[in-house]
Amino acid sequence: MNEKTSTLIVRYLILGSWAIFCLLPILWFVSIAIRPRVEIITPTPIYFPTFSLEAWKMVWNDWPMLNYLRNSVVSIFGSVVIDLVLAIPAAYALARFNFRGRDDIAFYILSTRMMAPAIVAVPIFFLFKNLGLLDSVWALMLVYAAINLSIVTWIIRSYMLDVPKELEDAARTDGAGDFRILFEIIIPAVLPGIITASVIALIFAINEFLFTLLIASTPRAYTMSVALANFTGGSDGVIYNAIAVVSLVAFIPVFLVVLLIQNHLSRGLTMGAVKG
Amino acid sequence: MPIKRRSRRIKQLFPYLLVAPAVLYLLTITLYPGVYAIAQSFHAVKFGPWSFVGLENYAELFSDYQFWGALWNTFLMGSISLSIQFFIALTLAYFAYRDVWIKGWRIIFLMPMLFMPSAVAFIYKLAFQDARVISDLLMKVGLIDSNLAIQSSIWMSRSLLIVADVWQWTPFLFIIFVAGLQSQDEEIEEAARLDGAKWHQIFWNISLPLLKPVILVALVLRGIDITTMFTNVFIVTKGGPAFGTETISYFIYRTGFKFFNFGYASAASVIMLILTLIVAQLVVKRAFVSGRE
Repeated sequence: MNEKTSTLIVRYLILGSWAIFCLLPILWFVSIAIRPRVEIITPTPIYFPTFSLEAWKMVWNDWPMLNYLRNSVVSIFGSVVIDLVLAIPAAYALARFNFRGRDDIAFYILSTRMMAPAIVAVPIFFLFKNLGLLDSVWALMLVYAAINLSIVTWIIRSYMLDVPKELEDAARTDGAGDFRILFEIIIPAVLPGIITASVIALIFAINEFLFTLLIASTPRAYTMSVALANFTGGSDGVIYNAIAVVSLVAFIPVFLVVLLIQNHLSRGLTMGAVKG
Repeated sequence: MPIKRRSRRIKQLFPYLLVAPAVLYLLTITLYPGVYAIAQSFHAVKFGPWSFVGLENYAELFSDYQFWGALWNTFLMGSISLSIQFFIALTLAYFAYRDVWIKGWRIIFLMPMLFMPSAVAFIYKLAFQDARVISDLLMKVGLIDSNLAIQSSIWMSRSLLIVADVWQWTPFLFIIFVAGLQSQDEEIEEAARLDGAKWHQIFWNISLPLLKPVILVALVLRGIDITTMFTNVFIVTKGGPAFGTETISYFIYRTGFKFFNFGYASAASVIMLILTLIVAQLVVKRAFVSGRE
């Protein structure tokens, strides 16, 4: 065995064991989703359960799952639309114009990403309480938009910085104004960036927990993420197989959109700082 | 002439008009709450009207061992978790970044990251505590004789949270490191290889130093998210046992929304805000702004 094969073996051994470490909890959770409730918490764990769709029926029949799903979809998509409307002009200005305070404004936008939700949780709670928006998807939409605005702006700005100036200059000599350049040249050129930003915003919105917990205090405004935390049927304890079902159902769309933007994922996650 | 001057005026204002909506939106959601929290932190706020108490909340906070404990727990669990994630992600990236075959399977390494954090919290709550899978596996390989009492041990509860965090978020660092390494010029590595340098020598002496800015960005982002750890604490440990896993986010949540001691919670928020601003100025600015010009 030469040196090359032995390094290859070490490499795949290490990468393979990490892949298994990633997959095993997921597979086990899948097995939770398709077993009857009596086989979840047992004196010794059962690794190969009897097949049962009990949890799927329960989730479908006993809980207003479609409501939660609708709340999630409306609040998340609405927030992404708000973000794009606000972020695209802002990113355009930050990437393409020289003006006083530009870098400070860019850094201020970035720094809102660093704010812990817990810091602003109490005031935001009272803000929505006074506006009479507690327990509504509108409040969730506004909060998700705020959380993601910095990310979306920075990602789109990073893609705009890559658009060659020559394209723009050519259009300008043809007499195109700033808005026409934005809509006819810049936006088409940074479409991958806009999609990446939307997907990242979508994932963070699905994952958001603390604000959703505070704002959506009754099932009327529950989203998938918070509905999960409330699947603790009182004296029944935690209904794990139902939780597993909902987690897996929520996982699938995220998985699909991430497949779509795989090659842009690291750039999106670092708000444009790492290309590749 | 006046028309021309006015249009120049508009031209100067134009970029400000473009950023204004976004900035105003963010100010409502950061500056307003910030001012509100500062104002509230000087008051005792229970259910009724605010009553001014001056610095009392802060004085109480500084002698509150639960507050210091929460800061310490956040720092302790965060730094352990971040170090483990960094080490694993860098090792994996080292083996994966020039491997064509792995590229197709990359998505497997990302899967934990794509679950909702609340779902991950339940996976680990079930595995460690309720279904005792971890105890069972350790007994099967003969490391322990009886079920672990995870819920009553501070360090085991902390380990649970750390393992869940490592499992879910190592992929985040991994994918960023791989992207950073892959974007480096392959020819430099090739030239070094032709000069007889070994793979690990190339990595330590060429690739890793070049990766430094990327590492800084990734660690800053991950570090910030770790210090705001809330979901897993809320679902799995509720801060226990004996406040041993209570993070600063959970402390604020508990004083505010469990005990309705809003003035006190706001004082803790203000302290956290100040810490955040310091870190943002010192580290974040360096990672994101100066490194790129």
